[in-house]
Amino acid sequence: MMRITTLGTYPKISKDQGPSVRTAIQRFERQNINAAALDQVYRDVTRRVLTIAAENRLDLTTDGLIRWNDMFDAVVRDIENVASAGLLRFLDNNFYYRHPLIRGRLSYQGGVLRWWLAEAQRLSSVPLKAVLPGPLTFLKLSEDDSYQDRGRLLADLVEVLRLEAQSLRDIGVAEIQWDEPALAYYPGWDVQEVKEVLGALIAGAETPQAVALYWGPNVHSWINPMSQIGFDRIYCDAVSDPEVVPYLQGNTVPSEVGLGLIDARQVSREPVSSTARVVERVLAVQGDHKVWLHPNGGLELLPPDRAEEKLRVLAEIRDAIHGRTEGGFTS
Amino acid sequence: MTRTLQTTSVGSFPKPPALVRARARFRRHEITAQELHLAEQQATLEVIKLQEELGIDILVHGEMERGDMVAYFAENWNGFAISLPVRSYGNRYYHKPVVQGPVSFKEKPGLTVPSWQAAQALTDKPLKGMLTGPYTICDWSFNDYYPDRRSLVLELAHLVHEEAMALAQSGATYIQIDEPAISTRPRELDLAIEAMGIVTRNLPAHTISHICYGDFEAIYPALLDLPVDQLDLEATNGHFHLLDVLGSVPWPKNKELALGVVDVHSHRLESLDEVKAGILRALEVVPPHLLFIDPDCGLKTRTWDEAVEKLRVMTRAVQAVRDELGLD
Repeated sequence: MMRITTLGTYPKISKDQGPSVRTAIQRFERQNINAAALDQVYRDVTRRVLTIAAENRLDLTTDGLIRWNDMFDAVVRDIENVASAGLLRFLDNNFYYRHPLIRGRLSYQGGVLRWWLAEAQRLSSVPLKAVLPGPLTFLKLSEDDSYQDRGRLLADLVEVLRLEAQSLRDIGVAEIQWDEPALAYYPGWDVQEVKEVLGALIAGAETPQAVALYWGPNVHSWINPMSQIGFDRIYCDAVSDPEVVPYLQGNTVPSEVGLGLIDARQVSREPVSSTARVVERVLAVQGDHKVWLHPNGGLELLPPDRAEEKLRVLAEIRDAIHGRTEGGFTS
Repeated sequence: MTRTLQTTSVGSFPKPPALVRARARFRRHEITAQELHLAEQQATLEVIKLQEELGIDILVHGEMERGDMVAYFAENWNGFAISLPVRSYGNRYYHKPVVQGPVSFKEKPGLTVPSWQAAQALTDKPLKGMLTGPYTICDWSFNDYYPDRRSLVLELAHLVHEEAMALAQSGATYIQIDEPAISTRPRELDLAIEAMGIVTRNLPAHTISHICYGDFEAIYPALLDLPVDQLDLEATNGHFHLLDVLGSVPWPKNKELALGVVDVHSHRLESLDEVKAGILRALEVVPPHLLFIDPDCGLKTRTWDEAVEKLRVMTRAVQAVRDELGLD
């Protein structure tokens, strides 16, 4: 059966009067609430995200990355000699991240992400995935003020990120998802180097390993290399790269594949019937049990009401496909 | 003779506590729109007085009547709905407009004229008319109506042009059209340039475009083709690496550069020497008569006191550089 999942962030504010990280931080900064009250809001908002995931019967979910400021935040806290520096635009989004500034040799300190995810795991009735920045995106979007040697820096990045992933082994996450949007967004990568780096990253991993490619036009060209590396799942943004669907309709991929057909950057609602038909043509080639459907990126770029609507659409498409499958209409 | 290294502000100022309270009371229906307007005027007066006291050369009115640089226009033009907030970084959110129909003026152009006129009446110094560019309005909105981005951008360009003409006809001699999104998609730079050409065509004013937090390497030197008299760019946030990019080709003789020399997204106050060093580096790339100095971006994310101190160190550093180099 085709499965559905989310890729990353979820709005930290509610569509109605529910708990809001935004309001809580404002109140905390004005000395109106204490650290414990702020922490409780983070927990409540995370619980809400996981409840919405359960309501829509997701097969696998993130915790919405409610405590993260951006995709590097948690790991920057967990790695020695890297700091959050100036704001930069995150690829082509009106969203800004504090770029990691590397000031010395990287070592793993750990603790922050593990604590955040252990808490989310306790709150979730849906299998939970961990989302981590991939080393190549980390390298591309950070500033090196220490190494001046790309190879050494990349090797150390792989090492500390492996340690970060290993720290999550015993808390029960169902998947490690490595986000590599820079591969999809920027041209000119050395494919062999990418394969070696990511291969070293996931070698010997006990938890299922996934890679997420999004926000760029070069997604489809990475599907085959990622499969060769050995990723269990390859999540593909099929909105930014319209070549993804034809590729998956024409080529069988050994790994499981994710179809990011739900646009996480536009408010319009995807038509259930026609989207289901697109998915079914991929299912026919890849096999029902090997295909996931998901948004093409984190949902935090949408207002909260629209983000929730996107999950509803995701579930409706899944139900439409399953209904047809059960009735024997899968093409 | 115009002096060198003129100073300016980029756009927004932090809303003084009295205005923050008034906006909250207005949302709770405790005060009228007129009472809120009076609070905005009082805040604008404080912004003008502060800039005059610090000796800034070209002023802004501080955008006390605006919540967000895109939503302000979307709220007042036809064709837009306003979404629930969307986070842009840290704990900053904005109401992202949704284009749901053809964009047009509700009545006639001139939305920004009254606030500009009221602020200009408070000072003898030139005051910028402040607009958001068509490319940025498009990029920071959801498009749920137009068939493609180009159609929306060009339609918006005609509206922004009409608004700019209204400002110019009211006496604005400096008009700033902010395009912070312009570096977002390098493949669309030509579209942004085409749109700016529509905005500034036959506009009888000195034109400026503020651009920040983008990948300048990807759009430079093509960015120099943007049809404005002055580019206003952020540099401090990126440790002045921007100057390496700008130095890759000779700076054109017919273009001014306003350079951000204090980081508006950091609580830390830069030292006088840090700011001076940035200005001196810029002078290696741009001659003094074409170089203007300002903060990286609008100051609305800082506290009032932080904004004051950042502007103060900026003006002191400019004067110190003028003195050291014997500039007028």
